[in-house]
Amino acid sequence: MIPHTTRTRRHAVTVVVGLFVLATIDVRGQAPTPAPSPGFDLSGYWSPVLHEDGMDRGAGPEIGDYGGIPINEAGRLFALSYDPSRLTLRHHQCDGYVAPYQMRALGNARAWEERDPKTHRLIAIHWFSQTFEGKRTIWMDGRPHPPAYAPHSWMGFSTGRFVGNALEVQTTHLKQGWYRRNGTPESDQATLVEFFVRHGDRLTHTVVVTDPVYLEEPLVTTTDFYRQPTDHQNWLFPCDDGEQVLGRAPDDVPSYLFGQNPFVKEYRTKYKLAAVGHLGGAASGQPEIVSTLAAAGDDPSLERPSRNAPATSKAAPVEPTDGNIHILPVRGNVYLLVGDEGNIVVQVGSEGVFVVDTGSGARAAKTLAAIRTLSDKPVQFIANTSFLPDRTGGNEVLRKAGADLSVRGTFFSLQFRDAGVGATIMAHQNVQNRLNAAKRPADALPTDTFLEERRRTFHNDDAIEMLWQPNAVTDGDSLVHFRRADVIATGNIFTTTQYPFIDVAHGGTVEGEIKALNQILERTVFEHQGQGGTLVVPGHGYLSDEHEVVEYRDMVVIVRDRIRALAQSGATLEQVKAARPTADYDTRYGATTGPWTTDMFVEAVYRTVRR
Amino acid sequence: MTRSHVARRVAASAIVLVLVPVVARAQRGGFPPAPQSPRLAAPIDLTGYWVSLVTEDWRYRVATPPKGDYNSVPLNPAGRKAADAWDPARDEAAGEQCKAYGVGGVMRLPGRLHVVWLDDRTLTIETDAGTQVRTLRFGPAPTGVSDWQGNSQASWDRMEGAMGAGLLFGGGGFGVGNTGGGSLKVVTKGMKPGHLRKNGVPYSADAVITEYFDRFDLAGGDALLVVSTEVVDPTYLAQPFWTSTHFKKQRDATGWKPTPCTAR
Repeated sequence: MIPHTTRTRRHAVTVVVGLFVLATIDVRGQAPTPAPSPGFDLSGYWSPVLHEDGMDRGAGPEIGDYGGIPINEAGRLFALSYDPSRLTLRHHQCDGYVAPYQMRALGNARAWEERDPKTHRLIAIHWFSQTFEGKRTIWMDGRPHPPAYAPHSWMGFSTGRFVGNALEVQTTHLKQGWYRRNGTPESDQATLVEFFVRHGDRLTHTVVVTDPVYLEEPLVTTTDFYRQPTDHQNWLFPCDDGEQVLGRAPDDVPSYLFGQNPFVKEYRTKYKLAAVGHLGGAASGQPEIVSTLAAAGDDPSLERPSRNAPATSKAAPVEPTDGNIHILPVRGNVYLLVGDEGNIVVQVGSEGVFVVDTGSGARAAKTLAAIRTLSDKPVQFIANTSFLPDRTGGNEVLRKAGADLSVRGTFFSLQFRDAGVGATIMAHQNVQNRLNAAKRPADALPTDTFLEERRRTFHNDDAIEMLWQPNAVTDGDSLVHFRRADVIATGNIFTTTQYPFIDVAHGGTVEGEIKALNQILERTVFEHQGQGGTLVVPGHGYLSDEHEVVEYRDMVVIVRDRIRALAQSGATLEQVKAARPTADYDTRYGATTGPWTTDMFVEAVYRTVRR
Repeated sequence: MTRSHVARRVAASAIVLVLVPVVARAQRGGFPPAPQSPRLAAPIDLTGYWVSLVTEDWRYRVATPPKGDYNSVPLNPAGRKAADAWDPARDEAAGEQCKAYGVGGVMRLPGRLHVVWLDDRTLTIETDAGTQVRTLRFGPAPTGVSDWQGNSQASWDRMEGAMGAGLLFGGGGFGVGNTGGGSLKVVTKGMKPGHLRKNGVPYSADAVITEYFDRFDLAGGDALLVVSTEVVDPTYLAQPFWTSTHFKKQRDATGWKPTPCTAR
C-alpha cells in the first residue's frame, strides 16, 4: 500500500500537471490563437419585420421601381423588358425565390442547428422560410464550396463562421432570380456575403450581393426579424404548375420591346420621379441622387440600349483549366465528365459503358482513363448529339477502346468481320453525313444511325431515348434522355455559357432551337418549387435543371421577338446589330471575340427569321 | 482506493475543470483588466466618414413622399391623424424645418456621417443632412435641454455579456470563448417631437429610440455600418417601428456637404 503522504503528493502532482497541460491548450481543444468567436444560437422561430419596403415585400413593387438597386444597363433593360405575365408560363408558375430575395420575403422562418451526435460540434445551421419553402443549409464544418460545374439552386451553397458578434455566411451557386418582384434581375453568377447579428429577440440580417452580370456595384440590404415564442405550425407552401392559358403558343414568352413598357412612364408620372433615379443604378442609392432628382427631367432614352459597344460575358468560367478530366456524379449510374471542352455524359452498368458525346478529343486519353475509374466494362455505345467537333472529337479514341458485344456472334458478324469491334456510335443520319463530308476517319463516324424522331435502347436497366431535334443548332441534333435516371443530355442545344450556336450553314434555325428547348421542357419534371427533379446536362456549362433551360428558352424567344420586329420594320442586319437586341443578356452570354460572337448569333437569328 | 481518495480525486478534477478556462483565459490576456474608458474598450471602430446606401424605402427617402403616404409605418389612429395633418409651411413658419432631421429620422436620410470621439466617454455623430450633431454619452443616463437629437445613453453591447456567462467560466463558459466583437447600443429619450419620414409621419416626445450600431468588415478593405433602430412611441405608434439602415465606410470626407434642414 502506498503511504498516504505519497498519495497526497501524487494528487498534487496530478493537479499541477493537469493544470499545466490543460492550460496550454484552448478550452475548446483548438489552437490557442486566434480565438474564434463563440457564436450564438440562431435557433427558433423568426418573423420578418415589414417596416421597410413593405409594399415591395408584401403586395409587390410597382413596375419601374428599381430605385436604389445598383443595376447596370443590362439589368435595367432586363427589368424594363420584363412582363409579369411571364409568371403565368407553365414553367415559371412555381419559381422559387433566390436567397437574397427570400430573406426579405413575407412569411416566417425557423432556424435550427445540426450537430455531430458524439462531439456536438456544429455541422450546419438550417434556415427554413415559409414562403416557397425555401430551405437554406449553412455549412459550419469548413467544407469547401462545390466546383463551378456543380448545380445551382434557389438558396445556393452556403458556408458560415462566427466572426465577432456576427454569423458570416458566404453563398455561391445561386439560380437566376430577382432582387425585386418586378423583374429586377439577379443572375446565376451572384454571390453573397451575409451577416446575421442578434440583439436579444431581434435579428438583423445584412446581405452584400455581388453580381457581375447585372450589378454595377454590390447591393447591400438589411432585414429585421423578431423572435416568436411558439411554432405557428404553418410551414408549407404547395405549388404545382396546373394553371393553363389555353391557346397560347409554346414560343410565347411575354416581354416588352425596348422602350415600349407602358407602366414605367406611369410610375414616373405618379410619383414625379426622374428616370435617372427610379430606373436604378449605383448612383441612385447615393446621397447625391436627392439633388440629381430635383434637377433632372424625364429621360426616356434610359429605356433603350445605349450606343455603347456591346458588353461581353461576365460569367465565371465553368470549364476546368488544369488539363484534367473531372467527374461529377449526376444521378444513379450517370456521371458528368468535364474538362475536354465539351460536357460528356457517362452511364455505367453491367452491360457496358454508354457515353453521350466525346468532347473535343484533345484529352480523349484522359477521358478514357476517367471512364475506367467508373467502370471496367468496355465502352459499348457512344451517342453523338451533333456532328460538331466538341461533340465528336473523341469518337475515334473512345470507339477504338470499346467493344459492342451485343453484335458479336450474330448474323451481322458473319457479314462484317469487324462487327462489335469498337464501340457502336449512334447518331442521327445527318451527323454521319456531315462527318463524312468533313472527311473524318471511319472510326469517328456513327455506325448506327436513325432518320425519324427517335432512337431508343434499354441499357444498364434504363430506357434511353435519342430524340432528333430538326434544324435547331444544326440539322442533326439529338437530345438523349436517360429515363430511369431522369437525366437529359442536350448537346449544344442548351448551354450555360454562350448564346446558342445556331449553325445556319448546317441547317440550324432559331425556330428549331426554340422548339428543341421546349422539347426539353416537355420532358422535365421539377422536384419542388421549380427546381431539382429532371437533371439537364448542357453541352457546355454547369449541371442544370429545368429552371436554367426555361431562362435560356426565354432569352432566345425574347431576342428572336426583338429581331423579328426589327426585321419586319425593314431594318437591315447592320441596323439590327446597332439596336443591340441582346443588350440585357450580353453581360451573361455575350462575346466580341472567339468562335461565337454576339454579332454571329444576331446574324443567325436575323437570317432565319427573315425566311 | 478508499472513498476519501475518490472524493479527493473528484475534488482535484473539479478544481482543474473550474480553473482551466480561467488559466486559458489568463493566457489570452488575463482576467478582465480594470475598467477602461469606453473609448479604449471599444470592441469596434465606428469612427470616420460613412455614406448611406439608400437601397431600401428608396422612394420614401430620396424625395419627400406625398402627404398621407405612410406605408409600412405602424401608426396608430393618432399617428395617422397627425401625418394627415402635416403642413410643411406651418413647420417653416414655426422655424421647425428640422423635424425630419431629429434622432427618429436623420439616420434614414440620404447623407454622410462623421463619427468622432469627443472625449473618452463621448462619441459624436455629425450628419451632413440637416447639419445635425448627435452626442452619445457613455455612463449614467444624460439629462439636458431637449432638442431634436434628445439625450442618448451609449454602452457597448458585447457578445459575452449577451451570453450571460460568468467570471467563473472565463467570461464565456465551456465552449464559449471571448469574442472581440460587439455592438454599440444607444438609447435616446427626451427629444423634441419629429418626423420618421419627411412627409410628416410623426413621433412624439414620449418616444424611446433604441439603436444598435454594428460594423462588418468586407474583403478588400470595405466596411459596413448597420444601424438597427427601434422606435417605441405610445403616442403615435401601434407597435415598435423597426428599421435597419446601412452605410459604407469612406476613406476620407469626400462628398461631405452639410446642408440645412428643409421641411419639404
